[in-house]
Amino acid sequence: MADNAVLEVEDSAQDFAQRTPKQIAWMRFRRNKVGIASAWVAIFFIMAAVLAPIIVRLLGLSNTQTYPETLNEYAMPIGKFGGITLDHPLGVEPGTGRDVLSLLLYGSRISYTVAVITSVTTIGLGMLIGVATGYFRGRVDAIVGRFSDFLLSFPGTFMIIALSLPLVQRVEAMGIAKDNAARIVVLVTFFVFFGWPGFARLIRSQAMSMRERDFVMAAQAMGASSWRIITKELLPNLWPTAIVFLSLSLPGFLSAEAVFSFLGVGVQAPASTFGLVLSDAVGYWRDDPAYLLIPSTMLVIIVLSLNLLGDAIRDALDPKGSR
Amino acid sequence: MSKMTSRHLRRRLLATTAATALLAAGVLVGTAGTANAAAKTGGTLYFITHAEQFDHVDPARVYTGRDIAFFNSYIYRNLVSYKPTAGSAGSSLVADLATNTGVPSNAAKTWTFTLRPGVTWQDGSAVTCADVAYGVSRPFAQDVITDGPQYLVQALDIPKNDDGSSKYAGPYKKTGQALFDKAVSCKGNTITFKLNRSFADFNYALTYPAGAPVKKSKDTGDKYDLKPFANGPYMIESYKIGDEMVLVRNAAWKKSSDSVRTPYADNIVVRFGLAEDVRDQIMLDNSIPNTVNLDGLMPANNRAFFDDPKKANQRMNVYDPYVRYAAMNVAVGHMDCLNVRKAVFFAINTQALIDLSGGSVYYGDPGDSPVKPVLGLDYKKTTGNIHDPAWKITGAPDKAKELLAAAKTACPAAYDRATNPDKGIVWDIAQSSTNQKASVLITEALKLAGIVIKFNFIPSGQYYSTVMNTEKQNDISSAGWGADWANASTVIPELFTKEGGFNLSQNWNDAAYAAFKKKSDAAKVETNRAKQAKAWQELGQYVMDQYWIIRPVFSKGQFQWGSGVGGVYYWEPQGTFGFGQLYVK
Amino acid sequence: MLKYLVRRISATLVVLTLISMSVFLIFDVLPMDPARLTCGKACSPAVVEANRHRLGLDVPVQVQYGRWVKGLFVGRTYGEGQAQFTCPAPAFGYSFNRHECVTDLLKSAFPVTLSLAIGAFFLWLFVGVSLGIVAARFKNRWPDRASNVFVLVGTSLPTFISGILILLFVALKFGFVNPIDLGKWVSPLENPIGWINTFIFPWITLALAYAATYTRFTRSNVIETSSEDYIRTARAKGLSEKVILRKHTLRAALAPIVTLAGLDFAGLLGGAIITEGIFNLPGLGRLSIRAVLNDYDLPIIVATTMLAATFLVVMNLLVDILYAYIDPRVRVA
Repeated sequence: MADNAVLEVEDSAQDFAQRTPKQIAWMRFRRNKVGIASAWVAIFFIMAAVLAPIIVRLLGLSNTQTYPETLNEYAMPIGKFGGITLDHPLGVEPGTGRDVLSLLLYGSRISYTVAVITSVTTIGLGMLIGVATGYFRGRVDAIVGRFSDFLLSFPGTFMIIALSLPLVQRVEAMGIAKDNAARIVVLVTFFVFFGWPGFARLIRSQAMSMRERDFVMAAQAMGASSWRIITKELLPNLWPTAIVFLSLSLPGFLSAEAVFSFLGVGVQAPASTFGLVLSDAVGYWRDDPAYLLIPSTMLVIIVLSLNLLGDAIRDALDPKGSR
Repeated sequence: MSKMTSRHLRRRLLATTAATALLAAGVLVGTAGTANAAAKTGGTLYFITHAEQFDHVDPARVYTGRDIAFFNSYIYRNLVSYKPTAGSAGSSLVADLATNTGVPSNAAKTWTFTLRPGVTWQDGSAVTCADVAYGVSRPFAQDVITDGPQYLVQALDIPKNDDGSSKYAGPYKKTGQALFDKAVSCKGNTITFKLNRSFADFNYALTYPAGAPVKKSKDTGDKYDLKPFANGPYMIESYKIGDEMVLVRNAAWKKSSDSVRTPYADNIVVRFGLAEDVRDQIMLDNSIPNTVNLDGLMPANNRAFFDDPKKANQRMNVYDPYVRYAAMNVAVGHMDCLNVRKAVFFAINTQALIDLSGGSVYYGDPGDSPVKPVLGLDYKKTTGNIHDPAWKITGAPDKAKELLAAAKTACPAAYDRATNPDKGIVWDIAQSSTNQKASVLITEALKLAGIVIKFNFIPSGQYYSTVMNTEKQNDISSAGWGADWANASTVIPELFTKEGGFNLSQNWNDAAYAAFKKKSDAAKVETNRAKQAKAWQELGQYVMDQYWIIRPVFSKGQFQWGSGVGGVYYWEPQGTFGFGQLYVK
Repeated sequence: MLKYLVRRISATLVVLTLISMSVFLIFDVLPMDPARLTCGKACSPAVVEANRHRLGLDVPVQVQYGRWVKGLFVGRTYGEGQAQFTCPAPAFGYSFNRHECVTDLLKSAFPVTLSLAIGAFFLWLFVGVSLGIVAARFKNRWPDRASNVFVLVGTSLPTFISGILILLFVALKFGFVNPIDLGKWVSPLENPIGWINTFIFPWITLALAYAATYTRFTRSNVIETSSEDYIRTARAKGLSEKVILRKHTLRAALAPIVTLAGLDFAGLLGGAIITEGIFNLPGLGRLSIRAVLNDYDLPIIVATTMLAATFLVVMNLLVDILYAYIDPRVRVA
């Protein structure tokens, strides 16, 4: 292992001479075949979600329309594998006869929206507050720390369930959004509200331990401003943590959205999300396994690609990672 | 359409001998029959359910047919009970704690019952007349004894306050105790009920355990709902909500004192809170043969179970006591326009909803009245609604458009609400995956007619208490109701008068209400049963013509049990198993 | 250190008091009316009022709070006449839907949730951390890849699917558990085997969901720490890789994991809603979700919220103390 490390260092030293850190990261990333492949897969699924209306229309389908002719007299899909045909490449939903491909494409739009907005906001907030409290400590840390303790002490999941119904009504009454949009607003707000302190604590603990380390002490000794130390010394070293967190929290929030839909406090029909489709499909594992298998596989592939992509970015960004 | 648990369907129904054509279409798919030549004593009988608990256990508070049948068969006895047998004979009354089924006098305003001697509580003490009187007094404590039937509170001859509440505040506060003692009195073993009106079928109201005895020294108020004192063949050994209830034999119970009950199993265990998949798996695999399913199965599994020839003797598929319907809130600003109500009705694709629940074999039949045909006398095929030539089972969007066009001029505001994409009609429905799908099917069908509909999903535990709140109720609410006994007096006034216990139409806001109310009030006190029945038939027609409710469904229920359970039959008046005759093979 | 402890503990108590106050406030301002929810039928305003009085919601929120706090110390009495009864201190109130003092409900639900949390915690910590270490040591070789696959399966399948699959296709299919006894509480002191049998599949379900996070964090932390200067110094000193890993790398790399693990564990103690539901475990999660979705049973909601909050706050404190102990680079100010 030690030998390898030495070789790698020499190797890198030649390649990375006179390049900016960004260029270096990009170089490293491009070399990672798994990373590139998963990036393409992730882009493919994200584009499919973004372009869902166009794709669905091009296929001559609709995400709301029911196709009664695809169901038998028990409202189960006609034909094998959940009613897969040329018209319905991923089969149809038992009970209603909606097209599963269209449902999943439109559904993943909602799931992505929730997951992306939540992750980015959570990380942004958590990073900012975590670094500030970890670095300054003292009074700032005490105040923010107690407040985040306070928030962390609320059983978040449970609070979302307990409060979402009345809050959705509030949001609707205030005219901010209606129906599913209101539910998404409430869900995202809750996720962020109860999510940031956890991440902030993680960042804080790292910032705290980093503060005691040589390179920060050196910068302090040289009289660098706090702002400079935070942005130039701490943040670059905290990025890997944020990236790992992001690569886990994106699929994490995808699943969280699913859980809340499953419990009946998330998005509701006629919309569809991974959560709604999967929670429904579980009841059909015996009669229509394809209906469970297809969305699960799709979710696994999406999560897989996002995770691998996250790893690749981490390896590329982390200046110490491949030493 | 809406798959509701027993919790969401109130009351029960009595089937009469006058079976209608609808019913004649073969009700029983399979039944183990009632001839219990092979009945065996001993063993443990299991019941499984997805529910976390019985809605209530306290005799004064139980109200759903299943719970009444369960506890009445095992734990506590009433003055009179339904005969524990299959078929229409099960709807006849038998003396239980009493020696007769009641003696009316004074134009049925006074009823007397004589207690059977030798009946004891689980501690061996005798069940006395005072115990019955005490039991009857408990429902008056309205702040402790909630949710139970109110027939005794309403009918006993005790003066009322201006707000309609009784001047007697129950046995805990004891305010007005003298008034109660005058209305319910004991003389030796004879108890006398004095009523404030003629009540020809008062003894049917006493099949509710709200009229059952309670031993005063054992009454624990609210906590009595966990462990009532037993005088039946079993007593509660333990009851932990969300976990299980265990019944064991009551050693003090004597067969000689009870002509109704035949306790076979040694132990009875109810397991609560099983995930639906697990519950269904147990039934499909027959992994615990001595198990009875207290719920139904999920639609897909239901079909798998009923298609399996090996399970022919482990299932029944019957018309349950309920009519499921969509109530139209006719208050101003809601569904106040007849043509819009009709348009919604004609646009719905009923066939798709039938298919969704696994086909009409399991779903039941599209209905044409708030009264179910099993009520016999009081039901009559109506005109209009599903008998309208324009109605189609797959939906008639063209007819709906026609009606909307008429509404556009007659009631423009309602028309706008129904068709404006920014507004739309809001339909209250309990949260469940089946209902989510039903909502998709309804939305799509109504879209074809240009009607905009949105669904308000409410957690099922809070569903009825939310929509019963007139301020929170939206435009349309799904509901289900079964008669309390074989008289539509427990249906039509309850559902469609302002005083009724389950009015979801808010129809007192409708111009058509006054005439209806007058006729309903008259029918309620009509003593000639034939005349009364005719009045209910006409009122049923009236309700349908006003579209106060749409698409009633004469629904069916499915029951399953394991291969090790014998003695199963459908107890018609309670709409569930005849629990008392079940045995472990 | 002592001063630090005293300060933190008093701060913790303040936080708990604040939380209890805000819980009361939140539920008071919500447009939910539990009194209205108690009577399903068209109930007269008089009955609603009677119910409101019975539930103790007919007084201002500060009075309700005062009664609640008082109940914690001296118990509470409900009802009148023969129907009167007392919930002894510490009383969290009385559930009119379950007909029991909330404290008794918590007492019977807590051992279930505790058993679930403890077993799952050790399982996921063991599996997660060891996989993470293995993955870090064999970075980019097959053990790393294999652990990555495990991680992905764990994170991508929601518990409500993995749980039901484990239950149906493993536990029930091969007869490991008797479905009629599913989730039945068995005391580990009386019947350890039965206890394990009850909880093993829920543990696996939860561990599957949680371990993944730990594998990733351990892996990335170990990789990162092992490139630190002091580790390289240790290596230069000629210490063996094993000793370095055990004595230096792990100590530093595990510090952030302690934070995460503490919070996750405390979170689980509040109740695992989905897992308890699937495996029919009568724990805190099911108690609270049912209180919310069925009846809006405020005394239960408040009590379970407070209990969960207490676990989290206390765990926070423990984590901070432990953190300083594990990572010598952190000073306790």
